[in-house]
Amino acid sequence: MKKKWICGVSALFLILALPFFSRIVIVDLVGLFSNIGVTREMAADLLTGYNLFNILSFVQYSNYGRIGLFAMLLLLLMIACVYFHIAFIIRTLMGARKNKGELDILSAGKLAFIFEIITAAATIAFVIFSNIKFGIRGFMPTVWVYIELLLAVGAYVLIKVLEAKERKKYNEHGLLHEIKKNWPLFIMLIPTFVYFMINNYLPMLGVYFAFTSFNFRDGLFASPFVGLKNFEFLVKADLFRLTKNTILYNVVFIGIGNILQIFFAILVSRVASKWYKKTSQTLMFMPYFVSFVILKVIVYNVFEYQHGLINNFLTSGGAERIDFYNTPSYWPVLITLFYLWKNIGYGMVVYLATITGIDNEIYEAAKVDGANEVQQIWYITLPHIKPTFIILLLYALGSIMKGQFELFYQLIGNNGVLFNITDIFDTYVYRITMTQPLSIGLGTAAGLYQSLFGFLIIVLVNYLVKRKNPEYALF
Amino acid sequence: MKNKPQAAPTAIKKSAGTKVFNGISYVLLAFGAIVCVLPFIIIVSGSFTDNVTILKQGYSLFPRDFTLEAYRTIFRSPKDIIQAYKMNVYYTVVGTSIGLTMIALTGYVISRQEFKYRNTVSFLIYFTSIFGGGMIPWYLMYANVLNLKGHTLAIWFPALMSPFLVILMRTFIVGAVPNAITESAKIDGAGHFTIFFRIVLPVLKAGLATVGLFLALGYWNDWYRSSMFSTNSSTWQLQFYLYDLLNATTAMKQMASNVSMKTADLPTESVKLAMAVVATGPVLLFYPFVQRFFVSGITVGAVKG
Repeated sequence: MKKKWICGVSALFLILALPFFSRIVIVDLVGLFSNIGVTREMAADLLTGYNLFNILSFVQYSNYGRIGLFAMLLLLLMIACVYFHIAFIIRTLMGARKNKGELDILSAGKLAFIFEIITAAATIAFVIFSNIKFGIRGFMPTVWVYIELLLAVGAYVLIKVLEAKERKKYNEHGLLHEIKKNWPLFIMLIPTFVYFMINNYLPMLGVYFAFTSFNFRDGLFASPFVGLKNFEFLVKADLFRLTKNTILYNVVFIGIGNILQIFFAILVSRVASKWYKKTSQTLMFMPYFVSFVILKVIVYNVFEYQHGLINNFLTSGGAERIDFYNTPSYWPVLITLFYLWKNIGYGMVVYLATITGIDNEIYEAAKVDGANEVQQIWYITLPHIKPTFIILLLYALGSIMKGQFELFYQLIGNNGVLFNITDIFDTYVYRITMTQPLSIGLGTAAGLYQSLFGFLIIVLVNYLVKRKNPEYALF
Repeated sequence: MKNKPQAAPTAIKKSAGTKVFNGISYVLLAFGAIVCVLPFIIIVSGSFTDNVTILKQGYSLFPRDFTLEAYRTIFRSPKDIIQAYKMNVYYTVVGTSIGLTMIALTGYVISRQEFKYRNTVSFLIYFTSIFGGGMIPWYLMYANVLNLKGHTLAIWFPALMSPFLVILMRTFIVGAVPNAITESAKIDGAGHFTIFFRIVLPVLKAGLATVGLFLALGYWNDWYRSSMFSTNSSTWQLQFYLYDLLNATTAMKQMASNVSMKTADLPTESVKLAMAVVATGPVLLFYPFVQRFFVSGITVGAVKG
């Protein structure tokens, strides 16, 4: 079995990935001193050899941000290597799946070795890159890197050969063949690819700012690397409050929102008059079309202290005015109300589409059996809208750490009195972006935490749903 | 949908419980509809109310001391608002047409059964909605890496697509074009572009309308890309122009009260409301005609296809 041998190589790589094996050695410590201003005291902390896990500590000690992003990419590559090697070994031990033979196993192995090759090449490139940046030959790659490169290339070629055999057997084709066969489809995807690269995937590199004390003077990727300092500061200052606010608001929005949407959808479906059905639907969907700036006007007019509708009403009835804009405790309720006002119609329509799809004969049969309205709803309508509910819920959970930024920002704006109870991640980060360019590292850290946390939640929930019933899973 | 005439609801005698239930349904729906419409009425009637009356007696549900003064004030020097309108139409038209084309193409590709990577592509698109670099890297990408600050491209480009709309479009395509039809077209020698333009697009009207309207609505109502990327007020989106105006009038009032000057000669409050009406007007004007697409069209599907 050749596969077992390749697996052995994988295991060897895992051992090599252990922190005892240096990948990069410092050969010219004195030169580094003079070039990047490392002091004598710092030198005591510096190591002579670095593996890819602790190379960032060098970046941090040396206060030389220019190589930070590169070093961080190396770290990520290394982690990816370890992950794919483990996946490859586990899949090999578990054996082949029936329908595709060993293709699954081999593709995991292929990924592992591709990443290994990239990592080795990137390590060498890193050494060259930083030597050029420092202007001296300060670093050298160790012999392990070259061994890694040679072994990985060998293993990769071997896997390719094995894979070609398997492919023939199962009539599965690789990417190149697919492109040749369906090239118009790939061309159609080019604009989309460009868009998501620019708008979403390339900015992901920017999460590196979360680990720097960012400033524009040094340039985007040259600010000093500070490790986890930004996160430490966040944990001490705002993190708990922001997490709590963001999640609580979203839980309330999702919970009450879905209940009311289902409630009104059922009401609409039960009303016999066509005209009434259409009109109420149209009117309830209308707020969805209003911009948040207009919403701000509305809220201001209703709740303003001097001339607001409510205070106007209160004073004409002889009661005291309420100072909404300086009393935080009202706002969670108000924000929820206006969220519901804006979004009930939309969700109602989605649920209504599902309800109209239910076969009418089921209701007729139930009526003949003597089921009353409530029983019909409970035993027929609700079970039928369960799949829609679960999918909407999963989509909502996917963005549970994202807030309704426009809603919060327009309603609260820069009213600092209300921040404690109404600040969510998005408003916090937006304020930093617009007003405090010195805290950009901090803002990125908050954004990264928000993104990671939300991502883990949806992956976990989707996994649980998938285990229970694969039909309902989102991905 | 099957409808048996003899089984129509009226054929069965309604019980008292059903009647009560129906009555409650009507009342609750009416209540919901009124709550949803009320704020619009407040704004519209406020915009027709005399400013002094608003300042003295506050806002109310119906116009008192009816006047067109606020609208006259706005259109006395309409240059700014017309510019904002023009820019908004430009962003909406350009963004919606380009975005809709891209979304339709993508939806077509990921709905093809023979496209091996359809689920991978769907997931990569969906992934952007659950993980990202966050607002700051995104902003720096456009402002500092691409140097688009002040450029109109930065206003419309970022909103061209969204994972939600791509998946919505795919659902439409799967529903409108059975795989068998495109398969037989393929056997007849049609390429993917022919299939897309000749077979899929003509039957995709509902999908194009729904997704297009979502895109257009997003563009029309957006303000925050202007707040981030605009350097010159002549490129402002309409909503941001409105937003700025609202804050400016507040500031103006603040200043006036500081120097104990009468603000009465400028109808600030009613002008704000009139501006809101002018900015929302087109949306509400179109709404009755386009709402049927929304009302019938939105279904949700999973990411995998």
